[in-house]
Amino acid sequence: MSGRSLPNRRSYAAPGGRPASPAPGGRPDRPDRPTRPGLASSGHCALRARSARLAPLATMAALIVLVSWCGPAGASLSRASTGSAGKIEAVGAENQYADVISQVGGRYVSVQSVINNPNADPHSFEASTSVAEEVSRAQLVVQNGLGYDAFMGKIEASSPNAKRQVLVVQDLLKVPSSAFNPHLWYDPGTMPKVAQAVAVALAKLEPSRSAYFKANAKRFDDSLKPWLSAIARFKAHYRGIPVAVTEPVGDYLLQAMGVRVLTPKSLQLAVMNGTDPSPQDISTQDHLISSRQVRLVVYNAQVTNNLTGTFLANAKKAGVPVVAVYETMPTPGYDYQTWMVAEVRAIQKAVLNKVSTLRF
Amino acid sequence: MNWYHALLAPGLFANPSVQEAAVVGALVAAVCGPVGMFTVMRSQSFAGHALADIASTGGSGALLLGLSPLLGFVVFGVTASGTMEMVGTHRRQGRDLVTGIVLGASLGLSALFLYLTATSQTTTGAAVTILFGSIFAVTSSTVWFAVGVGGAALVLLGLLYRPLLVSSVNPELAAAQGIPVRLVGLAHMVALALAVALSALTIGAILSTALLIGPAAAALYLTRSPGRAMVMASGVSLVVTWIGVALAYDSYDWLPSHQGWPVSFFVVLLVLATYALARVAVWRRVGPRRRKAVPAGAGWRGER
Repeated sequence: MSGRSLPNRRSYAAPGGRPASPAPGGRPDRPDRPTRPGLASSGHCALRARSARLAPLATMAALIVLVSWCGPAGASLSRASTGSAGKIEAVGAENQYADVISQVGGRYVSVQSVINNPNADPHSFEASTSVAEEVSRAQLVVQNGLGYDAFMGKIEASSPNAKRQVLVVQDLLKVPSSAFNPHLWYDPGTMPKVAQAVAVALAKLEPSRSAYFKANAKRFDDSLKPWLSAIARFKAHYRGIPVAVTEPVGDYLLQAMGVRVLTPKSLQLAVMNGTDPSPQDISTQDHLISSRQVRLVVYNAQVTNNLTGTFLANAKKAGVPVVAVYETMPTPGYDYQTWMVAEVRAIQKAVLNKVSTLRF
Repeated sequence: MNWYHALLAPGLFANPSVQEAAVVGALVAAVCGPVGMFTVMRSQSFAGHALADIASTGGSGALLLGLSPLLGFVVFGVTASGTMEMVGTHRRQGRDLVTGIVLGASLGLSALFLYLTATSQTTTGAAVTILFGSIFAVTSSTVWFAVGVGGAALVLLGLLYRPLLVSSVNPELAAAQGIPVRLVGLAHMVALALAVALSALTIGAILSTALLIGPAAAALYLTRSPGRAMVMASGVSLVVTWIGVALAYDSYDWLPSHQGWPVSFFVVLLVLATYALARVAVWRRVGPRRRKAVPAGAGWRGER
């Protein structure tokens, strides 16, 4: 059970470019997209024929044609239907779920992740057609729910497949839709349930491997123990220490570690949703940090703006350590377990030695 | 608990974000008054809107490149203003068509830039910041940049006040007096672009002309003196911005979720109310029969 690197990972979120070529062990190369003859040139000529006055317009039109030409369209992508010989095809909407599928499915499963760019804000992710194709082919899909990856539901609805099993983590955990924090994977109780459900789903797809999947799920559970005991040790020593956050992403973990998040919920929501923050909340947060009422600032490295930059600068000025948290598993170099252990360790270092961790 | 806490939420005046917003609002109002008055006199409010849309392309592009949106607003706005004047907005025939199509294209480019920002960067809330403004999240370095931009616009208007006024009222007369009408028009367009950029900073690119045109139009309804109209327009801009900020601050307590409403909504609503009040005031003063003759702007708008 290596499970560290996913087969055939591609950065779907990379805009404007074609998807990277498949990694070793992936599927055969796609045929190049067919060219669209004459579209750009005919449009350009027709405009130019008019008059010089329209030159800026023609330039703009040409630019737009050019942009759409190399844009992430890819509707004409095609692909051999039997790529990964005999493997179960699965999709994890976020790469941390893909990682768990991969660890449980081992060599019998080929896993794709949809959201995996650590330099993008997943809340504003929009699926491309190639994602739709992955999902329509997949036999197992794991998605977060709570509106975090709402595009997955739309894609699934548009490509019905009676044999496809869809695991919604929100439903697995029975989290009400009114929950304010969608970042379920930071909750220590989440992934064991996901691994369990994935093992059951895979066993349904390939009953002969049932014992293998079950053993892998068990091994996954066991591998979480160092993380869980690190959380317990931290909680025993530092229960109730005050922290500030920029965004709710790490809140489930912080809650499990027994710390108190003093940042107003409304500010966390404003940053997460990208709306104009309230001045009351900004000054509350500024005060928490600059008067050192908090022991550390937990900073979402994937959802940033001017304001989170200001909070970071204030923390630096006040000597309050900062720890980065992520919306998706930072890669390469981490799997789910090592990522979570690294988060707890970074928080511990911040509280104990005032050391910041701004990048994993 | 002071008496005014019944009206204004506590802590309004002590809040650093509010103070900064008040300073930025005052600066924007000071620029928007004079520039807006000339824009209304010259019937160029559509050009202002065009500049705002094109500025949104610049702002979103700047954000994509990791620069200050204000820089993008200014660079794209000023470039576009020059181009629009060169291409010849004096030709009425077909002008609205070309402008309209270019506007659509530039908003389309903004859509692309905002999409790319959202999908390739950690930046959150790009669309809201560019299109609808985020006055409470303006950084102090941006404030100094804004002061520079506003100062440049005011100096430009100050230097050209007389020729600009004459050529706005009567272009033929201005030309006869030897005033370079086209050049003065170009300078006004540049000042307009700067004012649009500043206004976009407070209430967003899409709404920026509201702060520019509405107060000036209301002022020109009420007075015929250009000096008084400029001061009045600036005053109205200032008051609506400040009240907008105060209401946005107040709205934090309106709902239990403590998610305050956006400043731009309040500002635009107040601009509309002010304009309506100005029209009603004039209507009451001169009666419905003569109101067509009164709009001060029309009195000395240079018909071409």
